[in-house]
Amino acid sequence: MFQNFRLSMAWLHTWFGLVLGFVLIVVFFFGAMSVFDREIDRWSIPASRFEPQPMPSFDKLLRPIFEDMQPLEPARAAMRDHVNGPLPDKFTVPSSWGAYTTHRDPVLSLFVGYEVPNAKLPETNIFALRTVDPRNGTALPDDRLKVGSGFFYPLHYSLTLEWKNLGYWIVGFAALMMLVGLVTGVVMHRKLFRELFTFRPNKSTQRSMLDMHNLTGVVALPFHFFFAFTGLVIFAGIYFPVAHTQLEPLHEQHEVIDAQKTGLPHDRAGVAAPIASVDAMVAEAQRRWAAKGMAGDVGFLSLVHVGDRNGYVSVYRAGTDRIALTGEGIHFKASTGELLREDPPPTVVGRINEFLTGLHLQHFRHWLLRWLYVLGGLLGCVCIATGFLFFVEKRKRQHAKQHSNGARLVDALAVTTVTGMLIAALGIMIANRLLPDVMPAGWPWRGDMEQYCFWGVWALAMAHAFWRTAPVAEGHLAPAWREQCLAIAVLAVVAPVLNWITTGDHLLRTIGNGYWPVAGIDLFMLTSAGIALLAARKLKQRVAVDAHANVTRAEVNHA
Amino acid sequence: MATVTVSRLHIASRAAAAILGGYAFTWGAIVFGAALLVAAGMDFHDAEHLASIVGFLIFLTAFLSAFGVRQLQRVWLVLLGGGALMTAAASLLQSQLV
Repeated sequence: MFQNFRLSMAWLHTWFGLVLGFVLIVVFFFGAMSVFDREIDRWSIPASRFEPQPMPSFDKLLRPIFEDMQPLEPARAAMRDHVNGPLPDKFTVPSSWGAYTTHRDPVLSLFVGYEVPNAKLPETNIFALRTVDPRNGTALPDDRLKVGSGFFYPLHYSLTLEWKNLGYWIVGFAALMMLVGLVTGVVMHRKLFRELFTFRPNKSTQRSMLDMHNLTGVVALPFHFFFAFTGLVIFAGIYFPVAHTQLEPLHEQHEVIDAQKTGLPHDRAGVAAPIASVDAMVAEAQRRWAAKGMAGDVGFLSLVHVGDRNGYVSVYRAGTDRIALTGEGIHFKASTGELLREDPPPTVVGRINEFLTGLHLQHFRHWLLRWLYVLGGLLGCVCIATGFLFFVEKRKRQHAKQHSNGARLVDALAVTTVTGMLIAALGIMIANRLLPDVMPAGWPWRGDMEQYCFWGVWALAMAHAFWRTAPVAEGHLAPAWREQCLAIAVLAVVAPVLNWITTGDHLLRTIGNGYWPVAGIDLFMLTSAGIALLAARKLKQRVAVDAHANVTRAEVNHA
Repeated sequence: MATVTVSRLHIASRAAAAILGGYAFTWGAIVFGAALLVAAGMDFHDAEHLASIVGFLIFLTAFLSAFGVRQLQRVWLVLLGGGALMTAAASLLQSQLV
């Protein structure tokens, strides 16, 4: 569209990168945080600070809990529009029970899906959720928010915009633009190898920002590409729902053949049947995995068509020993414990798909690799942030002369999504420690309040960013950057201190006990405080240099 | 890019071609690819996954081409026309299979 291909690609890189960059940096940052989502959960729910537990006995512990579980008010409220007439007080036909854990989870997540009578659409289910201590079955309070897996993680892939899956689409488009940004970035520069070793921090801000942008982009190029790409692959069914639209007939045909082939009933028989010992089925599944030389921890246990003659039990393995997201499911008839099916080894395509999704979702047990993921994600954030800064530095003086507010607007949004996002993340951690244990009557749930605090703090940071970037319109550095760095430095110390005061878990104790989930989060925040303080000092020096340069420039103009 | 002389409308049309045209073309490629693979004997979900994995790379290529190719009309024609053609072919193939 311009004089040549390279300029077109540069235009694409600049503008799509800028606009979607504000989404991408959120996705990258909370993706990096999600690598340690279970650990953030431990920090935010002190009652769950104990060692990871294996799947407990189903017959003794889980079954009575499942039988007791009923959908809570939020789920009932969401269901009311999908039913003709009122909802029953108690749901009675469970379609599925499930228990899920990982090698990093002390607590166990349970769900029960119930058939909904008089639902407008067939196969409508309402879900009851509960998190329990697997050692004794005690339920965690329902109003608690798992800040890591229940908030930062969904923020990473859907921005928590559930309406019409809008958040998924925005993030998906941003991921595609990440791929576009990487390809166009390579086309623009070409001197990839040299850029690996180029960083000139003492040149102009514009120059060093571009060096840093190129360096972080190139150093982690395979990481950035693979994560944007595999993220798209994981949600391919949302972005291209071919199986439930155009290719539905083909899919239905496959479902019917599949049900025959696997012997796992698609529907209830309508005849009641008891449930045999599930513990015996789990033991049999573990025996079969062991025979194949695989680690035998149960990751996911599910019962389908509960209490019906067609009911079956599926036992899936926690894939801690490989990258691919595997399950090696083994299925039993629920009423007798008779083996129905052992999942065959995946096909080549199945293997590729499991590898790509497993690479992204990291269920494996490997702490060094986990930290490298965090590093890769943070490098992505640096790459995006320096992209914003380069954009502003390149234009702000010219915009100042033209009395345009473009550079200021971009700088304000950059402050909002870089430092402002960190302030919001620290805000939810602090709110988590400061809110009362039980919210007073008439208030939202504690977990909901924590989320409101997150968005509220972010909105404040945004207001501050727009207010304190005014000097950019005159071609100067925005004070907002330094002020928000100072805010981060304070908040990132306040959060660990509050953790100490409210739970007694100070660093000496957590490190002394080797309890890294909480010690790690505290140390991470304290390190952030140190870096933020350093950045604030550097920015102060810049302001001095900037002012000096302006005076010199003014004198030259006078002379 | 000091000498940007293209109109806003032209840029909007490019962007629309890249996003909407790219999506239509990719949709066509995925459904047609999946139907072809099923016809060749592959399991439905395998076919769906493989076609989608390749599909995202096709979307990326289509998106870049929408900005790289000189004639905008040709971009629209290939992306929308090609997408429609493959989508129709997939339905035709499906009706033979089911």
